[in-house]
Amino acid sequence: MKIVVTVKQVPDTNAEKTFDPATKRLNRSSIENVLNPFDEYAIEEALRIKEAIGGDTTVTILTMAPASGADVVRKALGMGADNAVLVSDDALGGSDTMATSYVLALALKATGFDLVLSGTQSTDAICGVVPAAIAERLGVPCITYVKKMTVADGKLDAQRETESGYLRVSAPLPALVSVTKAINEPRYPTLKGIMGAKKKEIKTPSLADLGVDTSKVGETGSKTAVEVIKPVGARQKGETIAVSDPKESAKQILEFLIAKKVV
Amino acid sequence: MKSVLVFVEQEDGAIRRIALEMCTRGADLAKDMGVPSASVVLGKSAAKAAEQLKGTPIEAVYVGEDTPVDTHLSDPAVDAVDALLQQLGPSLALFPGSNLGRDVAARIGVRRSAGVITDVTDIDVKDGAISAQSPKFGGSVMSTIGLKNSEYGVVTCRPNSFIARQEAGKGAIHQLAAPSGQYRAKVEEKVAQEAGKLGVEEASIVVSGGRGLGGPEHFDIIEALAEALGGAVGASRAAVDAGWIAHKHQVGQTGKTISPQLYIAVGISGAIQHKVGMRSAGTIVAINKDANAPIFEFADLGVVGDLFQIVPELTKLVKERRANA
Repeated sequence: MKIVVTVKQVPDTNAEKTFDPATKRLNRSSIENVLNPFDEYAIEEALRIKEAIGGDTTVTILTMAPASGADVVRKALGMGADNAVLVSDDALGGSDTMATSYVLALALKATGFDLVLSGTQSTDAICGVVPAAIAERLGVPCITYVKKMTVADGKLDAQRETESGYLRVSAPLPALVSVTKAINEPRYPTLKGIMGAKKKEIKTPSLADLGVDTSKVGETGSKTAVEVIKPVGARQKGETIAVSDPKESAKQILEFLIAKKVV
Repeated sequence: MKSVLVFVEQEDGAIRRIALEMCTRGADLAKDMGVPSASVVLGKSAAKAAEQLKGTPIEAVYVGEDTPVDTHLSDPAVDAVDALLQQLGPSLALFPGSNLGRDVAARIGVRRSAGVITDVTDIDVKDGAISAQSPKFGGSVMSTIGLKNSEYGVVTCRPNSFIARQEAGKGAIHQLAAPSGQYRAKVEEKVAQEAGKLGVEEASIVVSGGRGLGGPEHFDIIEALAEALGGAVGASRAAVDAGWIAHKHQVGQTGKTISPQLYIAVGISGAIQHKVGMRSAGTIVAINKDANAPIFEFADLGVVGDLFQIVPELTKLVKERRANA
């Protein structure tokens, strides 16, 4: 079975972000980039499925990123994935979610897959629409927000989180599944894994190899445009209550809530 | 654009609160654009749900009782909404930022070759063009995003962003035929663990518990305060990772990003991973025994003290006030 995990390179949450005033894009060169935390759960689940099924099951990491994306791919390979595909081209810069899903879907068609796994969203843009858009483009079942899953006999069973509980869902493969952090506890790459990752293959297909129509990608091909991007002022430190009597504290909180008209 | 369409989610005939917010803003946008507004509600009990939209400013309600959204995830909803959009012509379609809403929005975006703007907290029409606000990078920056070269626009909305308004005499009902697709993904069972309870993403008041609670048994004081305030229960990553409460309650980087009117953080230190999920709350109150906890640096009211004594007392006071109101 062939499992492909889509991953994204994101800026570290703690990093100070600056934006190019002309392109309104994040200055990625000056900050530390990390593997999107949500994607670690997808990689872990892929590895667990591989360990459970065995045989000739492979786990491939797929990302679309600047050349620096190779770093996060190495981490995923260090966790135990078998190989990777890095789609990188200056023409892709500024692609929005729909353009990104277009490129990833073409890359998935090129690599072939039985199961696509992804995180539910990235921590930088928090859009949460790329997995479903990929499934739509590939014409495969789209099972998102999964907190538990099993794969057997060309079929998957999953528990999909909803706002009021969960749904037990089944679907035939090939399919796309996005997973939440409730699904597992991701492993850390071992030293042996990190060393081994250096020898693993990272394919870098060109856009022409994938059949990408460049008029549909990048900033010009995207159908959304970022017009303004500006920092949000930091929240100010407010009042502090530090009294020894808890009843007095509670009374002051209530008065505050009443003054704010939230109670 | 020829119309504005609002996708309304319902469960057993009860609409989500965000539907009222979106039907109001959707109708206002349509008015600004000089086009009609409509909403669409699908699945068993959709007719019952549609009744609740009659008091909103939305002009028309498309009801698809026979669209099997309860048994096939997003597939039937995508077919039904896509068919309706083709009938309406180039439109702006608004979706809730919920699990189902985001899936349907993404797939409609692909089918209609639409521009897709996500996690929107404000949206307006300026000189005939859509202009939406969307927080990025954990709410540290605000982006203004527009559409270009697209006939259709798709927007997912963050709950608690628009103010709902009542307006009588609107909401004419139109019946929608069921789509005829074959669906491979199948819902085998629906497990409602907290039916009828407001999710953390939609509640206007959220009370969250963290490591300071010391164990799962102490979440009852959080629940009691949330209930007294008419809010939802949230949690920090530490509490979720310790297994004290289910992941869907988690607020923060690997949980939900929310904008409630009031956020009360109890026993939560306020690390950046938590802050990015709640920094856009209207008012933040923090209760923590550690006077040096980072959360006090950005809370509107910081309370240093013993949460086990303060929270039950506050619950009591809130209940008394409610009873006397």
